[in-house]
Amino acid sequence: MLMLSELERFEIADENGARARFADLAAPLLDTDYPIVNNLFFRVDKKTLRLPWEAVRAIDREKRQILVSNFDQAEEVSLEPQKDYVLLKYEILDALLLDLQNRRAIRANDLQLEEEDGLLLLKAADASIEAILRRISFGFYRRVGEGGLFDWKYVEFLRGDPKAVHNGAGYHLRITRMPPGEIARLCNFIPYLHAAELITLLPDAKAVKTLEIMTIRRQLQIFEELEEEQVVRLLALMAPDTAADLLGLLQTEMMKNYLEKIPQKKSRRIIELLRYPEETVGAIMTNDIAYLPAELTVVKARRQLRERFQNTDFVYFIYIVDDEENRSLSGMISLRDLFASRDEQTLEEIMDPYISTLSALEEVEKGAYRVVESQLAAMPVTGKGKKLLGAVTIDAAIMAVAPEDKSENLRIFS
Amino acid sequence: MKDETNVEGLEDISSVTAQLPASQRRLPIGLRVNIRGRSIRLRGLKRQPKGMWRWLLILGPGLVATSAGNDAGGIATYSSAGAQFGYDLIWVMVILTISFAVVQEMCARLGAATGRGMLDLIRERFGIGWTLFVVGVVIVANGGVTLSEFVGIGAASELLGVSRYISVPIGAAVLWYLVIYGSYAKVEKIFLLMTFVFFAYPIAAFMGGPDWGEVAKGAFVPTIRMDSAYIFLLVGILGTTITPYIQIFQQSSTVERGAARRHYGPERLDAYFGSIFSNLMSISMIIATGATLYVVGNRNIETAEDAARALEPVVGASATMLFAIGLLGASLLAGAVLPLATSYAVSEAFGIPKGVNLDFRRGKAFFTIFTALIVLGAGIALVPNVPIFPLLVGIQVLNGVLLPIILVFILLLVNDRNLMGDLKNSRLYNFLGWGTFIMITVAVIVMLGGQLLELFGIELFGG
Repeated sequence: MLMLSELERFEIADENGARARFADLAAPLLDTDYPIVNNLFFRVDKKTLRLPWEAVRAIDREKRQILVSNFDQAEEVSLEPQKDYVLLKYEILDALLLDLQNRRAIRANDLQLEEEDGLLLLKAADASIEAILRRISFGFYRRVGEGGLFDWKYVEFLRGDPKAVHNGAGYHLRITRMPPGEIARLCNFIPYLHAAELITLLPDAKAVKTLEIMTIRRQLQIFEELEEEQVVRLLALMAPDTAADLLGLLQTEMMKNYLEKIPQKKSRRIIELLRYPEETVGAIMTNDIAYLPAELTVVKARRQLRERFQNTDFVYFIYIVDDEENRSLSGMISLRDLFASRDEQTLEEIMDPYISTLSALEEVEKGAYRVVESQLAAMPVTGKGKKLLGAVTIDAAIMAVAPEDKSENLRIFS
Repeated sequence: MKDETNVEGLEDISSVTAQLPASQRRLPIGLRVNIRGRSIRLRGLKRQPKGMWRWLLILGPGLVATSAGNDAGGIATYSSAGAQFGYDLIWVMVILTISFAVVQEMCARLGAATGRGMLDLIRERFGIGWTLFVVGVVIVANGGVTLSEFVGIGAASELLGVSRYISVPIGAAVLWYLVIYGSYAKVEKIFLLMTFVFFAYPIAAFMGGPDWGEVAKGAFVPTIRMDSAYIFLLVGILGTTITPYIQIFQQSSTVERGAARRHYGPERLDAYFGSIFSNLMSISMIIATGATLYVVGNRNIETAEDAARALEPVVGASATMLFAIGLLGASLLAGAVLPLATSYAVSEAFGIPKGVNLDFRRGKAFFTIFTALIVLGAGIALVPNVPIFPLLVGIQVLNGVLLPIILVFILLLVNDRNLMGDLKNSRLYNFLGWGTFIMITVAVIVMLGGQLLELFGIELFGG
């Protein structure tokens, strides 16, 4: 086991007896558990030289020396970030890393390396105080405690540049397996450029779910760092209410541009929500809900919902309307009702016709309290002639009445 | 209220309004936009506020950070400058306002462009050694200044007739509760409201009946005196006005406010406004004491409390009250800002979750540092006869050593294109920034050299 803090004090020597100072190590960060060091950087007469790791003959801990073949084979380079590898000292050491096991950000106080079959692997990041002591004690303090070591397998390194993802930089990508809520929470601990990079790493569907949980300000910071094409893709997948909140904060021209580029059906839903003033129920409702005509049989309803649910935001209740054109609200059924009923029954027979509704222009706080007190997953919003306009979900209602101190959005039912 | 144009698939908004009770408020006009060839009124857009509100909403970290600099130590220095040299040092404040604004703006820009606090960047760009040095100095210096703020709260409250044994614990508890349980937005609003107390100083200045012609002369005609008291006060003013914790707080709170590089601009105005406002208040203190204490020859001012007490026989009890109110507000503001700046610095340096927006469970270390500084500051301030003056001199030395280093870091970082992109420093900014660095460095060398020579009984300048 070797620590980078130890290695950086080693001398570099070649077979001809020439000497140099250690500068850095490079390793490609790929979808592997432990990155393999592929380049050694060292300094001779103010020049930075690079040798491939294959030129390293031995690491002699006794002599505190890295023996290489010949300095003449080295290439002069400048020590700068590259897309195909990451510099362990220059880029990772002292940077913020994501510790996926404990779902938090840590600072890399040191890095642990290990020799295996002539290869040098990056095995762990050390975030302990001991690591700091090792670095400032000029080699006098060498203890390595197990407590502060974070297995590299569960560490993600971000460069703080969303464009790095498109430019071919390597990542572990383990983070993409985490639930959106946990990724969103991790994003709170890192600068917004890192968060934008992280969002760019995620598949679009997960990126959207993650963004929806973040505060609106953080969403805005991230969106502004993404490329237009990605923004359009994400907006198209986003719940209309979240997309409306976000677009409502953009400059008018930018908002128009996005509304024209996302699919027309989604754009229409977002525009519909944007028409309701901030302080009204309409501003917090979602209009991406499932509704079906009353005369439909249960078996037909199940078949139709199979398709509709693929793109619908709120799916816990199905609202029953007289017909799909007028959408006059007649009742409501839950998913449980739908699956527990007999195939031949009509929705009208099984629906609950006694439902409380909200008006879209009702004061937001009053409406939100009604939803919270109803203890329902959502309450429908209707217009003239009981026309179904949308629904206020309980998470949206809670967010509307909760103190502003909350640092994350609540998103449970949609 | 009828929406004139409808879009296919959208509800006519009048069908919704028909249901509403008669008392419903008028709907906002919203904005009419043309999307996909159709004109539609969007009432849900967050429209930019206009007029006075627009300007007030811009204010935030810049005004709070710079105002916190007018704390008990600042009031003592500015009051002493006025009492000893009348208006002769106001020109320094005029020049310093430009430097102050430039430095604060660079910090705000760093925060917005990178989303990282100052210690984040120092750690990542300059390594662990410099980070530990800066954090160490910040903890000691800010801890000492926090103590002086609670001494200031006690002194001010006693001038207003309330025992320090009541005001200091209450003040500490209120500040602690505010930061621990409040959101960043709420805390910032309260801090901004607290800056209103600084208007006590312009009022006191007017009450002193200054000769405005002489004030203008003092502001625009530089006077250099080669005597030690003058030089040390000049250096003291530089060190009091531009202080590391103000820069650290400015950058970290700009980050926490959620500033972003794509529409950086309001933060710049906030930093400029804060610097100008804060220095105008400082100038008011110089004018208030210059027009009164200097004229009657009462020149021995060491603390803000001295200044307030000395004003009573010259101007009347109301001036003392105004100074006391100003001191109370300033000390309360700085009593929260200093521990916060320290918490930000330590958290950023070691990668600890940080921010007023966190709850205690998630920000344990951040809030523990904050709590410890408040408790220690308030606790020690209640100990009778704490030797605060020698302590402040020591802190001034520490901050003096740190300031040029911080300025170099700021200037190097703000010129790094990889970090800053298009927000990198312009040539003019570099000229002003490096000019400030040279000015501050010379001042610090003079201060440290003077204090060193004083130890050997040698006077640098004539007395």
